[in-house]
Amino acid sequence: MPLAIPDVKKTWTNAINTVTLGATKDEGGTRTKKVTVGGATALPFHHFEGKMPYPPAIAMEVWDVAPQDWPEVLAEHFRDVWHDPGLWAKKCVEQYGADLICLRLAGCDPVRQNRGPQEAAQAVKHVLESVGVPLIIWGTGNDDKDNEIFPAVAEAASGENCLLGTITEDNYKTLVALCTAYKHKVIAESPCDVNIAKQVNILATDMGFKPEDIVIYPTSAALGYGLEYVYSVMERARLAALRGDKMLSQPMICDIGIEVWGVKEAKASEQELPEWGAQRERGPLWEATTAYVYLLAGADILVLRHPQAVASVRQAIKQLMGDGLT
Amino acid sequence: MPRVRFHPDEVSVEVERGVTIQAAAKAAGVELASICGGDGICGRCRVIVKNGNIEAAPTTLLNRDEIQRGYVLACQTKVLGDVEVEVPPETRAEEGQILIDIDAQRFRALYQEERVSFRHEPLVQKLYLELPPPSLHDNVADQQRLYREIRRHRDYPIMQMGLKILRAQPKLLRQNHWKVTATLGLRGGTVEILQLEGGDTSSRNYGIAVDVGTSTVVAHLVDLNTGRTVDAEAMYNSQRAYGEEVTRRIIYAERGGLEQLQKTIVNDINNLITALVSRNNIALHDCSAVVCAGNTTMMHLLLGLDPSSIRRDPYVSCSTAPPPVRAAEVGIQINPRGLLYCVPAIGGWVGGDVTAGILATGLYESDKTVMLIDVGTNGEIVIGRREDGFSWMVTCSASAGPAFEGSGVKCGMKASRGAIERVQISPDGNVLYKTVGNVKPKGICGSGLIDLVAGLLEAGFIDRSGRLIPEASPRIRERDGMLEFVVVPAQRSATEKDIVITQADIENLLRAKAAIYAGALILMKSLNLDVADIERVFLAGGFGNYLDREKAIMIGLIPDLPLEKIRFVGNTSIIGAKMALLSREAWEKCEEIAQSATYYDLISFPHYYEEFLAAKFLPHTELERFPSVQERLRVKEALWHSR
Repeated sequence: MPLAIPDVKKTWTNAINTVTLGATKDEGGTRTKKVTVGGATALPFHHFEGKMPYPPAIAMEVWDVAPQDWPEVLAEHFRDVWHDPGLWAKKCVEQYGADLICLRLAGCDPVRQNRGPQEAAQAVKHVLESVGVPLIIWGTGNDDKDNEIFPAVAEAASGENCLLGTITEDNYKTLVALCTAYKHKVIAESPCDVNIAKQVNILATDMGFKPEDIVIYPTSAALGYGLEYVYSVMERARLAALRGDKMLSQPMICDIGIEVWGVKEAKASEQELPEWGAQRERGPLWEATTAYVYLLAGADILVLRHPQAVASVRQAIKQLMGDGLT
Repeated sequence: MPRVRFHPDEVSVEVERGVTIQAAAKAAGVELASICGGDGICGRCRVIVKNGNIEAAPTTLLNRDEIQRGYVLACQTKVLGDVEVEVPPETRAEEGQILIDIDAQRFRALYQEERVSFRHEPLVQKLYLELPPPSLHDNVADQQRLYREIRRHRDYPIMQMGLKILRAQPKLLRQNHWKVTATLGLRGGTVEILQLEGGDTSSRNYGIAVDVGTSTVVAHLVDLNTGRTVDAEAMYNSQRAYGEEVTRRIIYAERGGLEQLQKTIVNDINNLITALVSRNNIALHDCSAVVCAGNTTMMHLLLGLDPSSIRRDPYVSCSTAPPPVRAAEVGIQINPRGLLYCVPAIGGWVGGDVTAGILATGLYESDKTVMLIDVGTNGEIVIGRREDGFSWMVTCSASAGPAFEGSGVKCGMKASRGAIERVQISPDGNVLYKTVGNVKPKGICGSGLIDLVAGLLEAGFIDRSGRLIPEASPRIRERDGMLEFVVVPAQRSATEKDIVITQADIENLLRAKAAIYAGALILMKSLNLDVADIERVFLAGGFGNYLDREKAIMIGLIPDLPLEKIRFVGNTSIIGAKMALLSREAWEKCEEIAQSATYYDLISFPHYYEEFLAAKFLPHTELERFPSVQERLRVKEALWHSR
């Protein structure tokens, strides 16, 4: 006798906000391409339960200065262009197919070159002129420094509808005010804590900022370095959002490259740890694997570094989106 | 010259045309309340001009309705002709014991409204006896004669008496012609004749109720014959020097400091008692009972019991219901044969103060689901009701810290004279406040701190995580690397120093309120109750006279419930202790409550910390749990945007 299988499909009451980055000429910007993320009405890739109208997007990381500490297996792909963030961004878009460029203003960090606002703004303008994709602009993480450079940076990118970050519960006023004035979106950072994630969003919206213009950065960790904590925080945030929590309904961004390429599993050479196998495969694989996990947790934007990781994550997204499989 | 007449004092005075009503009042010897000293900013000197010719400067401190009813600020109003002025009660400058007066009223109110009526039978009573002198027909021995006479008045089957009294008795009885007063103390099921005095001294029988808090010790002197609270006195617990929280003190005791801690608290209690009796001209001799209510650790430290096992799995204490002991044995100085009673505790972490609170609020026999939130260094929460003839009560304890008791806050103080107990931030950013006793402010007590944080949030001077926003108010400044808000500038404070609230103070307050709210929420969750299921909330704590419930909701200290469901009940620990002191029935009820309440250990709830973090926000991370606050802030914001 055939057994009736009960329908256990979940339906949710709320959708994740859609966030569109980039503005074309008609919209007051100069982008030739826009990227929209979010909009999901079910858990990631649960196409049988709801819609996932936009696939997660891949941003590739570009610095305003040439990095000093990137391992060779990573550096070799960018050494020819990293003296010029414009060329670097161009390579990421044209050669590796990046959906977005994430410009990290590492050169402004007081522990690096401590560059000033004008140099930061210059780098932003240069990247904007060099590529047509939308821009994510990531500060130094040093509150005072970020508050010093962002006024010039936000103005330089005025009208381009960029994603600027990050704001934290300790430092949000300046950047929120700037993003309101220059019509950018903002990244709200929280230390792997769903409550604080929500609190930062509330603090920003209390200033009159639209919740639809926020992207959550729940912090990221490399595989093996606390990834499971981030995973569960992201999962909880997403479940709360689908159940109707408007203050957690924002798309999420994961900053993966910087984490992965700081851990020995990606960084250590074969000479150091021969039993771990070829670094050239191991590094990108570690980055890609970390990224897969975050895709499943609900990441909408992934910031990656290695071209191979980018390629394989793009492939994974394609498959998970049901490309030819549904 | 114009004549100004003041009601209800019915005095009048002639003054120069153009002087203020305030000055006229002073000349007439009518005391008006005022904090600002005549600058027109405190709004405390409101009077009603019945008729006459005046010139009043415009003020924002009176609303249209009040102005129509004739209200003016005395300091801002000039006398131009003959004037009739009425001084409303709130404007009469009051000096004196406001704290206890109101507390005493509240005590009665609680008694009545909850229909908790216990028979008046103090734990220690004085009984005047006129014994029939012995004769050949009635040759019962002296002691048995005394017992017989007592039993004519009281139903005490089992009595005892010390050898000292037994020895003194024959002479005392004969010298006083068989007219004596016996002091009878309840000891479990036995009644002890504590003392025998010649003649009738029964009118002089006093007891002391003490709330032995981790941070604050409060003592009330009670006339045991009438039940009247004669006077009250409070101080910070001197044991604070050995650690703010009970756990620190247990550790100190474990390291050989038990005796030190015991002496310290006994010394505090003795100081309070001495102050009370000397101020009221009462002989120590006439105080024969002390009832203490406090958390379990404090009771251990008071009695000199080893508290070390309280903090160790399985968290068992030496005793939860210690027997009455001779107060002198502990070192408490009252009548040398007087008794010390400790209100029985519910468990190692929920003490007799909570038992007393349950007693005082009548929670154990409520046919509604009631929540009692006792804000102290440990915030205790009780939920209970009476159902189908038996009552259930569940309790938990959350470590809040002493911020609401004014400790660990830079300008914090307990709710005593000179404490700012009420604060309002006016739309133009000014701070209006009221102090206990209407004197110059010395510091801020718990209710003032709640008002202040709520006011700062509403005014937009802090954000929802409690951070001061420097550009929002000129009163916000940086001192020693930390932001602070000036509540009262030095020239208006009694300390001649600025009274401020610092960023760290606000964080301490947020932590305290988060701990208590999280505890309340987890207790509700574990009972499968929703906020809407709570039919009444009793908010208790040593806040003094006043607590603005709306502000307590505003900061997320208590769940967002309609105000009519919430009652501020003051220090229920001392109220309960007093009830027990005055009534054997109430005392026995305490024993019953302590046994029937259940203790939930928050440590066993894995989500407690999570809930705590969610609550460490104004009013809470889950904004939808506080719809009334959301609405208030929305209205405020709309106003702000329209400006």
